[in-house]
Amino acid sequence: MVEQFTTAAEAVGAEVKRFPTLNEAVAAIRSRAGGRAVATSALPPPVRSALDGLDCVPAGALHTAEIGISFAQAGIARTGSLLLALSDPAGRSATALPPVHLVILDAATIVADLSALGGTLGALLSSPGSAYLSLITGPSRTADIERVLTIGVHGPKELHILIVEEN
Amino acid sequence: MAKDVIRQKINDAFLRRALKNFAAAYPVARARAFEGLDFEELRGRISTFKQEGLRNLPELVARFTTSAERAGAAVHLCTTPEEANRTIHGIITSRGADFLVKSKAMTSEEIELNHYLEERGVRCLETDLGEWIIQLAGERPSHMVMPAIHKNREDVAELFSRATGRECPPDIPQLVQVARETLRSGFLAGQVGLSGANVAMADSGAIGIVTNEGNGRLVTTLPRTHIALIGVEKIVPSLKEALDVINILPKNATGQKITSYVSFIKGPTGGDGRELHIVLLDNGRLRLAADPDFSEALKCVKCGACANVCPIYEIVGGHVFGHIYVGGIGLVLTPFFHGFDKAEEILKLCIGCKKCNEVCASRIDIEGLIVDLRDKIRKPAGQKFLFGTLMKNRKLFHATLRAAYLAQKPFQSEGGRIRHLPLILNRETANRSLPPIAERPFRDLALDKSESRVPSPESREKVLFYSGCLADFVYPEMCMDTVASLEALGYEVSFPQKQTCCGIPARYSGEMEVARDLARINTDVLLEPEADYVVTICPTCTMSLRHDFPKLLSADPLWREKAERLAAKTFNFSELAARKSGARGAGLGAGKGERISVTYHDACHLKRGCGVYEEPRRVLTELVGVEIREMADCDKCCGFGGSYSIKYPEISREVLRNKMENIAATGAKTVAVDCPGCKLQIEGGLEAAGTGIAVEHSATLLARRLAES
Ligand code: SF4
Ligand code: SF4
Repeated sequence: MVEQFTTAAEAVGAEVKRFPTLNEAVAAIRSRAGGRAVATSALPPPVRSALDGLDCVPAGALHTAEIGISFAQAGIARTGSLLLALSDPAGRSATALPPVHLVILDAATIVADLSALGGTLGALLSSPGSAYLSLITGPSRTADIERVLTIGVHGPKELHILIVEEN
Repeated sequence: MAKDVIRQKINDAFLRRALKNFAAAYPVARARAFEGLDFEELRGRISTFKQEGLRNLPELVARFTTSAERAGAAVHLCTTPEEANRTIHGIITSRGADFLVKSKAMTSEEIELNHYLEERGVRCLETDLGEWIIQLAGERPSHMVMPAIHKNREDVAELFSRATGRECPPDIPQLVQVARETLRSGFLAGQVGLSGANVAMADSGAIGIVTNEGNGRLVTTLPRTHIALIGVEKIVPSLKEALDVINILPKNATGQKITSYVSFIKGPTGGDGRELHIVLLDNGRLRLAADPDFSEALKCVKCGACANVCPIYEIVGGHVFGHIYVGGIGLVLTPFFHGFDKAEEILKLCIGCKKCNEVCASRIDIEGLIVDLRDKIRKPAGQKFLFGTLMKNRKLFHATLRAAYLAQKPFQSEGGRIRHLPLILNRETANRSLPPIAERPFRDLALDKSESRVPSPESREKVLFYSGCLADFVYPEMCMDTVASLEALGYEVSFPQKQTCCGIPARYSGEMEVARDLARINTDVLLEPEADYVVTICPTCTMSLRHDFPKLLSADPLWREKAERLAAKTFNFSELAARKSGARGAGLGAGKGERISVTYHDACHLKRGCGVYEEPRRVLTELVGVEIREMADCDKCCGFGGSYSIKYPEISREVLRNKMENIAATGAKTVAVDCPGCKLQIEGGLEAAGTGIAVEHSATLLARRLAES
């Protein structure tokens, strides 16, 4: 499944790296983000605190961040897609505004295809209150001028997926 | 449609190249996207739940409203475009805003929202790249999914230079970067964001939006107020159905497996005074949903595939072939959303090839709806005599065709073909030579023949030959070949003299009553003599007898039973011939020495109208004994379309040109067809171009082969 996910994600222009532990993935993010403005509002608190010390931009200035970091709820092997449940607008902005988007994905959450994700999506949508779920597949793209595929219109130009295979 | 606009589009070299490239690339990408997926099963499911939903549309609307409101959204059901515009304007002003940032919404084009708001001092900014381009150009989308497909990089560079006040080079990545930078401030400054939605779920009250650029997520995230403008027909019962739509949409739209972003939004997220307003647009939909004849049109999920495969769209583009909604479904929706006056001209532009039906994500009979809608529009003067008096009176109709033989004589060239016809054919048909009306139609030759008939053994299956007018009066030798081949294959063939026009020309011109009369006459004529089969050599006639007669006569149980009986025993020539291919053994086909090569053109009404495409190939390879060199787009229309080639000669000529290119590329010296109309069109084109390539009906090729052996 991880193999299939990787192939599909790379086919749509994402970069995929695999890590044996979350710590190693975090370390990779640290070395990549070192010295650059990052947006971490899309991260669950434990992961965010693991990234302490990075140059995190405040919620009001997310558009100035160079890198947005997030944590996926699930992955879809067939299409290389990620599920992000980000009901907080700041979390969404962190994954939509910066030119580079890094996503941590737990290998255990990868499912076969869109319909296999139906249960998860259904549960998230039927719980009371509001919700905002995004399936993200590759970087932002357009073919609106002469049908020439061009990467990076309004969303991130680069999508890096860090798969964590911690048993 | 104004002829000069059509001519202008035909002569727009960039547009033509863009559409042609897309038409070539799309089927390949689409096939790849659907790999490992059962398209027919998926669209069958969509068609079923959509139709079911339309039956209960008011209830679905109510359920969605309750759920969305429970999740914290405000829902506004608007009956008219005016009401929707007013509501949206009200929301914007209530938030103290004067600026609206937008992601793509066809519904916004439908109600001309930008125009309404700009007049009232609200600035609108389109952020979808294609939509922004056409907003800057002051135009409307020419495709539902690729709104600016008619613009090239030079056009875009000029528009962007003017908009930004700095020189933008015609380089696509740089232009995309300009859009990113320029529109970024719009997202950040936007007080209110407006989006459409591809689907809405009644159980949770969530909406689903698919985009590629990422502007949809920004428009629904950065401004504190989000308005979603959604046609009521987009509501489905639950997530399960929504996922089917989301699954099929990008694959059918552009051959993409999934779009970069799919967002599900339920209620306003983030608290602190954020608002979500869902404006549900009726604009005639609730009434259309209850219409027994046309509700099917609302099953549309707006994938745009019907335009992608349309041979006429490929020639003229969406500014001609549609109004706000374009492509086949655009023709159908325009009268309901924008009025019959807007639809009158464009409804005539469809050539009836049914290519759209084959790919429709909701399995809508788009072509059938177009034909039925023509019945509702104003008929041109003169049509009344043609169809009311002439066509219903067989003797008068046939006498007129005979008279035409004399009238055309002075225009015949040495080879016997006509290069110029008076009155009805203008100089634009000069690229095509036409065969003359025959001195003696087949119906007369058949009389001679029946006198000399030798009684055949009782055991032979009896076949009634329904020739169709074109073959009867223009290609009598094709009819002779049909009879000769079928007899040689062991059938007993006779020709009922009282048969008349199948009624398709009347039906296509919206004269349903005349078509119904003709259906009744022919049904009686063809059921009266005892026969096992009725055989046709014109696919349009086959389709008419098989599918249209039962439909046209369905109101009366007695007639319906008769029409169904006739339909059940009606076959195209190739079907009856192919049945004998096994029985006759390889002896016939396996000719001596090298096999000659032909290429085969599938007639629209045979392939898609009757589902017959395998039998003709068997007849050619096994009975005639030739090798088939398949051409690209073998089942794409040749541009004939009956009177279409006379009404829109410029378009017909361009469709024909594409066909001729594909034929020439095979290197075959003969094109086999199973339709007299295709023969007339393609042969005329190939002859005028001096290619030396012949076009023959399969019956003729088979008769020749049988005569040899
Ligand atoms: S039937 Fe053919 S010409 Fe008519 S809309 Fe469909 S694809 Fe286009
Ligand atoms: S009519 Fe069918 S093919 Fe055309 S846009 Fe609608 S769903 Fe797609």
